[in-house]
Amino acid sequence: MMKYIIELILSIGKVDRRWIFLVIGLAVLLPLFFPLGLPIRATTATQRVYDAVEELEPNSKVLVSFEYGPSTKPEIHPMAIAILRHLFTNSQKVYVTCLWPDGQFMAEDALTEIAEEEYGLTYGEDYVLLGFRPGNEAVVKGLVSNIRKLYTTDARGTLVDQIPMMANVNKVKDFDFIFSASAGYPGTIEWVQYAADPTGVPMSTGTTSIQVNDVMPYVQSGQVKGILAGMPGAAEYEALIGSPGIGTSGMDAQSIAHLVIVLFIVFGNITYFIETRRAKKY
Amino acid sequence: MVIGAWISVFLTLAILSYLYKDNPFYKVAEHVFVGISTGYWTSMFFWTQIQPNLFGRLWPATEYDASSLWYKFYNLFGVFSSVFPEGGIAKGHDMHLIYLVPFALGIMMLLSVSSKLSWMARWGIAYTVGMAAGLRAYGFLNSNVLGQIKGSAFQIFNSDLPYFALVGESITNNFVILIGTITGLMYFYFSREHTGNFGRLTKVGIYFLMISFGASFGFAVMGRISLLIGRFVDLMHYSSSAYNNATLWILLIMVLLLGYSAFMDKGRPVESPVNDRTD
Repeated sequence: MMKYIIELILSIGKVDRRWIFLVIGLAVLLPLFFPLGLPIRATTATQRVYDAVEELEPNSKVLVSFEYGPSTKPEIHPMAIAILRHLFTNSQKVYVTCLWPDGQFMAEDALTEIAEEEYGLTYGEDYVLLGFRPGNEAVVKGLVSNIRKLYTTDARGTLVDQIPMMANVNKVKDFDFIFSASAGYPGTIEWVQYAADPTGVPMSTGTTSIQVNDVMPYVQSGQVKGILAGMPGAAEYEALIGSPGIGTSGMDAQSIAHLVIVLFIVFGNITYFIETRRAKKY
Repeated sequence: MVIGAWISVFLTLAILSYLYKDNPFYKVAEHVFVGISTGYWTSMFFWTQIQPNLFGRLWPATEYDASSLWYKFYNLFGVFSSVFPEGGIAKGHDMHLIYLVPFALGIMMLLSVSSKLSWMARWGIAYTVGMAAGLRAYGFLNSNVLGQIKGSAFQIFNSDLPYFALVGESITNNFVILIGTITGLMYFYFSREHTGNFGRLTKVGIYFLMISFGASFGFAVMGRISLLIGRFVDLMHYSSSAYNNATLWILLIMVLLLGYSAFMDKGRPVESPVNDRTD
């Protein structure tokens, strides 16, 4: 019996990797068709982002930066949507910049859905899309010294001086809070290094999962107030604001897929150890 | 809208088809992606920075004077009216001729395509590298060195903290951070051989590093699964009748064509870039 099990495990270890792709695909797809409704509980890092936003007075000036594109949309877009929802519910003024060119697309998408359609807010009075400027960290540095040098017009071509909510907003220090929705460079780290740390303006972030380990030291040291870590972070934030969205709907698939991957890793290791033992034996 | 959905579905399935093997669908999607990305980035850079912030400062509408030599030169480019509109560029700038310097440096960088003039590109690159180095030195020193040292200098036996907590601050976790930081730094000290007690401590440092790499790997997997979920959600959305069942049709056609291709290639020696097992 034991021999049969060992042979079975070894045969699984030799399976064509395309079967593994198929199993992972099914593990992701099936929970999307048949949701399990697994519970979502906010981590401390997510709770800190929520608390930081909650602490803001109404009509605070919040700078939200979109640093992601279609390739990372499933991870970052849900959290950008959730953050905008939270900010608009609390009557904050939102100023949107983009360090990535495709971030402007994402920002337009999110603002149309949330600010225009859901909340019916007025462009230029409640929110403004300043748009993309190339230059990476030089843009952040420029925003810290003088916004108007970089942005004479917004993304729609309106002169910044003609936008009501831009009155008395000249540099990063004029904002009460920064939120960076970031998928890499330039992104969260550049905002910490060139804006939040030098000016003392509090900031939070939402990043792709792969970036979490790089950003976590800034969260631990208090330089960043919490972090939304990938799709789970978005789902947790959606749970906190009581508005389930795309992040929440993907979490069942995320959990099942992880379970399957862990099983594959366990099988892979067992196969490796059996093969090593056999090789030593003979 | 429907055409966009069909294109989106085709490109998604074409990229995913690489998991089976390299094939023409994947090649098409790959080339389209690279081409469109380059075109989009170039156009965004031009219309958000070069046209408004560079040309807009060299030929601003506020100082337009058709009789001046500078604006006569500008009017020569009037044929490209979307870039150089009549009456100067109205983007809220005053004239700053100092911007001729970055303009010249930019043109010099483009000269790298010419073998005779490529040396001129070095000036532009030197300026960019110098500026970036200066900017980064300040940022790293302030946030990564000073900020992180300040963040890791905490009171270990803080009476306000619990002795143990799985998540959040606690005296035990303070010790873990202290030991992890010191042993991790010791591992990167190469002026002494990693043997004896010192070697044992550096080994602890390796374990901390391994745990960190493991967490990074876990996060990487989580990120990739999230992206797959995103694509599947879109594919499911586009499989509805509102989009003429785009996903189902394109999937069927792709499977049939790839299946036919595999059938025709049967017996021929094929190198599979996906399955590179040698046993």
